[in-house]
Parts: sequence; structure tokens; C-alpha cells
Amino acid sequence: MAIAREEIDSKVQEAVAAALGVDNEEATPDATLMGDLGAESIDLLDILFRIERSTRVKIQAADLAAHIQGGIPDEEFGDANGIITDKGMAQLKQAMPQINPDELRGNLQAEKVITLFTVKNLADMVAERAEAGAG
Amino acid sequence: MRVRVGVDIVGVDRLRRLLVEHADALDTLFTHREQSYCLGKRRRFEHLAARFAAKEAVLKAFGTGMGQRMHWTDVEIINEVLGRPRVYLHGEVARWAERKRLADLDVSLSHTEGWAIAQAVAVWNESGGGCALSFD
Repeated sequence: MAIAREEIDSKVQEAVAAALGVDNEEATPDATLMGDLGAESIDLLDILFRIERSTRVKIQAADLAAHIQGGIPDEEFGDANGIITDKGMAQLKQAMPQINPDELRGNLQAEKVITLFTVKNLADMVAERAEAGAG
Repeated sequence: MRVRVGVDIVGVDRLRRLLVEHADALDTLFTHREQSYCLGKRRRFEHLAARFAAKEAVLKAFGTGMGQRMHWTDVEIINEVLGRPRVYLHGEVARWAERKRLADLDVSLSHTEGWAIAQAVAVWNESGGGCALSFD
């Protein structure tokens, strides 16, 4: 049976808070993991392991990049200067609906994309995986 | 030729906590050869932390971070007989480096009781580097 969405949100919030040593109230859905909450890659690993333990949904660090990049090849995702292309921006809007492409277009470096990824974006990804696994 | 560097520092206790709390973390992060080298050492967590820092430093020098289909074990740090660390690339990271025409790659590691640090230097034929996502 698929895990309820409310439970996923709660488990993701708990995993983020525990891995980063912050209160649950700080790990709000809108908080960005690597920006607002200051997560580093080792913290991200910790978060993903905790989510796997509590939800049985396994996500690897590379899966995050694949989810956000949507399978678009690097050369089409960013231009020669590493700026996100229009094609890349359209994909980002799908993976991270809260972003405003008009504000970011022409300025967003590929290496900065992950700093926009929020707790809710992660919960959305877990819910997507859980649903696929249950189906 | 184009040269890019990457550096990373890791808290030894932070890595120790990750490995102690999550049984799968060791195999996710380190190859069997890396584990064999480090786990026999008295300061095993310092050695493991230095290798994790080196993997991060290499990906920073590549400008990729943990990109699509890449695994932590794709970057392997093995010590030569006299102790000098050498980088072996595997899987998607190796394919990416080949596509970007990597010419040479070197790392240097150091650690104290609390911190481990690594620096990587990558040399590319023509314009290397990439624009994939980065987690660093």
C-alpha cells in the first residue's frame, strides 16, 4: 500500500531536521536544503539514508541530479558558459514549480541550481517514487 | 591546456556519524579497495574522511558535482606502495572525463584528528569542465 502524502511530508521533514540538527519547525516545506538550511553533500546523503529507512523509498545523490535535470544532456541543459538554457529552465520549472523562470533566465548557473531545491521538492520526489513503487 | 582545481574539507566526526548511523553508507561511498586500506588503520575514520574529501575535490575540479548517473565509488582513491594517493575513475565519471578530454588528474590529502582535507588538480586538453548540476 502506498504511503500517504501527509506521512511522506512529515518523514522528509523529520529526516532533514535530524540530519542537519535543526528543529522540525526550521525544516519548512519552502526552505531550500543547501541554501536556507546550509546542507552539504554529506548532509544530503544523511537525509537520503534517513528517508530510505523511514519510507522505504531509496534515492541516491545522482538521482537528485537526474530528477532535476530530467534526463536532458549536460550540453543542452546549460550553455557553454554554464548558464541554464531555455530548455533547461522549462525542465527546472517542472521539478521545482516554485521558481520564477523570468527572474532566473540568462543568469542561473547550472552549479547553483541545487541551491533552489526545497524540502517540498524533495518530498515531491519521494512521493513520486513511492507511487511508482506501489504501482 | 586548461587547469582546474577543487578543494574540500570534511569533519571527521560528521563522516563517522554518517557511517555509524547508516550501515549502507560505507559501500555507497567507498570501493572495496578503499575500505580495505582504511579499515585496517588505527585512524580509520580520518583516512575515510580524507578519501571522501578527495572525491568531492575531484568532482569540484571537474565542475560537475554529483551529476546524473554518477556514483561516489566512480572516483576511487588508492595509495601507491610509497603512500602517494592516486585517482582511479570508473563508470559515468570516467566516461564524462573521457568526453571532456581529461589529460591528467592528481590529488593530495591530509588530516588531523578533527578534519580531513583534499585538493585535486585536473588538466584538460582544450576547454574542459562542464555545466552539469553540482551539489557542492
